[in-house]
This record gives sequence, structure tokens and C-alpha cells, in this order.
Amino acid sequence: MSDPGEALASAKAAADRIIRAKRLNACLTPPKELRQSLTKQAQAAHPSGVLYGMPVAIKDNICTLEFTTTCGSKILEGYRSPYEATAVAKLKAAGALITGKTNCDEFGMGSSTEHSAYGRALHPFDKTRVPGGSSGGSAALVAAGAVPAGLGSETGGSVRQPASFCGIVGIKPTYGRVSRYGLVAFGSSLDQIGVFGRSVHDAARVLSVISGRDPKDSTCEARDSLRLPTVPESLQGFVIGVPKEYFPPDLAPAVRRACDRAIRLLKELGAAVREVSLPHTQYAVPTYYIIAPAEASSNLARYDGARYGPRFNGALDMRALYRSTRGEGFGPEVRRRILVGTYVLSSGYYDAYYRRAQQMRALIAQDFRNVFDRGVDLLFTPTTPTPAFKAGEKLADPVAMYLSDIFVVTANLAGLPAMSLPIGRVKGLPIGGQLIGQAFLEDEMIEAAYALERVVPAAGDA
Amino acid sequence: MSVTREEVLKIARLAELDVDEDTLPVLTEQMSRILEFVAQIGAVPASETAKPFVPGPDAVRFRPDEVRPWPLAFGPSELAPAFRSGFFLVPKLGQFEEDG
Repeated sequence: MSDPGEALASAKAAADRIIRAKRLNACLTPPKELRQSLTKQAQAAHPSGVLYGMPVAIKDNICTLEFTTTCGSKILEGYRSPYEATAVAKLKAAGALITGKTNCDEFGMGSSTEHSAYGRALHPFDKTRVPGGSSGGSAALVAAGAVPAGLGSETGGSVRQPASFCGIVGIKPTYGRVSRYGLVAFGSSLDQIGVFGRSVHDAARVLSVISGRDPKDSTCEARDSLRLPTVPESLQGFVIGVPKEYFPPDLAPAVRRACDRAIRLLKELGAAVREVSLPHTQYAVPTYYIIAPAEASSNLARYDGARYGPRFNGALDMRALYRSTRGEGFGPEVRRRILVGTYVLSSGYYDAYYRRAQQMRALIAQDFRNVFDRGVDLLFTPTTPTPAFKAGEKLADPVAMYLSDIFVVTANLAGLPAMSLPIGRVKGLPIGGQLIGQAFLEDEMIEAAYALERVVPAAGDA
Repeated sequence: MSVTREEVLKIARLAELDVDEDTLPVLTEQMSRILEFVAQIGAVPASETAKPFVPGPDAVRFRPDEVRPWPLAFGPSELAPAFRSGFFLVPKLGQFEEDG
């Protein structure tokens, strides 16, 4: 596509599709604003860009100049960022069209997109179920065919889990591969921008564009953009590890069957598959739910009614202003995590919780190093223990909700690249398989995904 | 590790967060459940031997210390709930209470 007329047509068609998908409550941008912006963007887009005319939806915790950035929170209602994320600037420079902001769990805290101040997002194939979270809006729009790709963010699996639930591809790059500049901070040592695509190729080429060095983010590695691998004929020479801890006895039978089939296909493609052990896996969720809330309690201290968003007025002094703004502006899950984070960092509890969690994080990262040092190139696991669950099913029990991330948080804790791709269905609901790679070797992971995607019956029953 | 209503209120004060009296019992119960769940990592012997995990580059890189044009599309007057003559307007500081 290089004719400006084609970009305009693409923009109009994308707006029509997003507006038709309104029942999903996946896009937070009002239709009129979306149409107006897309027309302007199509006229300004660079025809020589590698993503020229490609519509890309953006999670609402990634700053854009075109649209508000609310993070799914009342405390940032109407907030318009005075700068844009580096990832968004790179997409625009490549000619992509920013097709509005997508619904998410407030500040990325949740696994179902039910914790949004703007209402829950719906699963694209079953409205009684959740699309996953926290990047559920982007995942639902891509799965519904409204856009070919979207950006999400991951702190603990928030791209891969919704990708798995919605039957699309989701990639979390290595920590430091993509700039975090303009990604609203939740857990700074864990946060990364990730991508969704309807195919491995769509997701990979968007990742390739947004990756690479950025002087505005000191945690972003000074490396060139990701090189896109070619589709391999076979996986001869690849050693793929299957960690036994990711196949517990209570794994949903259909998920186990889909994974067994995918492993058989990986072998048929020529990969050597061997069982491996990551012995500290069972402690990953509790470790994550100490470190992430601790970092969140610090990062979210800036929302106090003085500088951003709405102020909940009537306070007589400064501290009352802080407390009333934060008390009214944050939703229940964010309040819970701020309180847990403050608790684990407080005097008398720091050593027992936060310090111990940091030690555990080191052990979890060491588990991965041990396996990769023994010649394993990639790991294959289920992405989630079950397909998409019913809306409301886990709302009353935060720990049950947290456990739905059991197979995805490890890659965030260890800073590794990982991705989910569809490997089958059960009763119409998608099942995802996860590949975890070595740091900065996304190309190997994507290569294996290309090969598996070609042979796995993603739409077939497991 | 369960927490009491008073402990939740103390933590809420530290976090500068108003907690609604009606939601306090459920919040106390949920926080207790979360803290009991995460406390299971205490059962693993502490290890000082694992190499500390630090995500990102090995060393912090600094930008050149140069004066550059204002990088924002618009200024704080358009962001802040109340802003006048270059200042954020806020209520008086008030009495700083003891949280002890």
C-alpha cells in the first residue's frame, strides 16, 4: 500500500469495524473523535513506511497525543498526555494508523478487564466470558477482526493471557527490548510494551518497528531493532524444553490435550523436545504479588489531585485532598494493591516479604538460566491453566484471579521474551500455547512460532 | 498472616488513601487472604547465593546534560486541576498528623 487514497480507505474501514464491535466495550475512544483523527492520520501518514496504512489499536495506559490516556481509571478521566510514547511515535513514523485507545484493567492491574472504571470488556466469542487482562480491549478488537494488530502492556502476563483467551498471537519482548517511555508505570522492573496480532507475522512486524534503542528510557537496551526471521522449513536443530511444573494434575484436560498435540507437532517439525524442571515455579505468583504491588504503591503515589486528572474537591488541607482524590479516584483492585504494596514495604515487614521476594525472583531467574545453559533453546508450556473464564467468576476472590496468571508471570520476573499463539479450541473457546525464549533472542522464538502456526489446527477442537 | 481492621486503617493512612467504612470488613478479609497467600515464600530457605536479578542494562546510561526545547506538546496549565501564574494551586498544608 503506498497510495494515500488507500490509507484513507483503510482508516475508514478500520473505524467502521471498531464502531461495529462496540458491544465488546473494547475501544474507549468515542466514534466521532476516532473517525476525525483517523482521517487526519491517514492524510499525514508516511507512504514509504513499512506499516503504511496498518491500523493499530493502543492500550489506554500508553500515552498518545491524539486521544486521552486514562489507564482505565477514574483518577485520569479526561487526561490528555502532553507527550507520546516512543512505541507510538515509531508506529506513526512507520505509517501505521493509531485506531483509538482500548479498554484495560485499571493501571494494568487485573486479569479479566473487569477492573476498568469504564465497564468490563467482553470476550469476542462469548459475551458471558472475559477476554482476559489487563490488555483485554486490544486483544478483543484484534480477535474480532476490527484491527490486524494492537499494543498492550505486560507486568505479569497481560498480553499473553488475553491473547490465549481470545485466540490470537501475543508477544512480550525481553525487558529492555522496547522503550517504556510513555508507558504509564505500574511495576517498573517488570513492565514492557507487548504486541497482539492475528498472525505471528503481523505481531512480529509491529514488534520489529517498536523495538530498539531509545535515549528517553535508560532501561531500554542500546540495541538495533529486532530482525524479523524468515519462516523456517523445519525446526531441525532446535531444542525445546517442556517444564514439568507447567503441567500440574489439575490442568484443564483440553489444555493438556492441545499442548500434547502441539508438542507432537514440534517434534514432527524436527525439534528435539525434552522434559526440564523449573523448580521454583510454584513461588512465582506469590513473588509477583509482593514485588508488583510494592512497585505500584510507589509509582501510583503521583496521582494525588495536584497535577493530573480530576480533583475530588472539598478537602480543607493538602493531605485530605490526597486522600479523598485517591480514595475516590482508584478502583477496588488498585486500592487493594496499593495497600498490600505499602504493607510489604513497611517497617517490620520489609524483610519477611519484599526482601524475600527479591531473593525468590533471583532463584526463578536462575532456574531459567540453568535450563538454557544446558542447551535448551526455547521452552513450551500452556499459556493459561484454563480457557477464558466467566465474567464475575473470580471477582470476589483476588487470589483465585491472581492464580490465572500462574504460567505467565515467570517470564516477567526473569525479564525473558515469551509469546502465546493459538493451538486449539474447546467448545469454541481458544487455547493458547506459550513459547519462552532466551533474553534478546526473540527471533528464535518467532521462528519456532512461525513453524508451529503453519501446522497446528488452531481452530480445531483439542 | 492476617491483618486487623486497625492495621488496614494504619496502612491506608501511610498510603494516603481514604478507605470507606462500609468496605473495610471485606477489604480486611481480602488483604488477609492475599498476605497469607504471598507469605508461602517464607517457607523456602532464604538464599543469598543466587545471583541478584536486575532487569535491563548492566549500567545506567545518562543523557547528555544539555538544555533542550520544551519537549511537551502543551504545558501544565492544561493538565492540572488548578494552575495559576506558573504554580499548581493546592489547599494549605494543614496539621501534619502522627501516624505512629
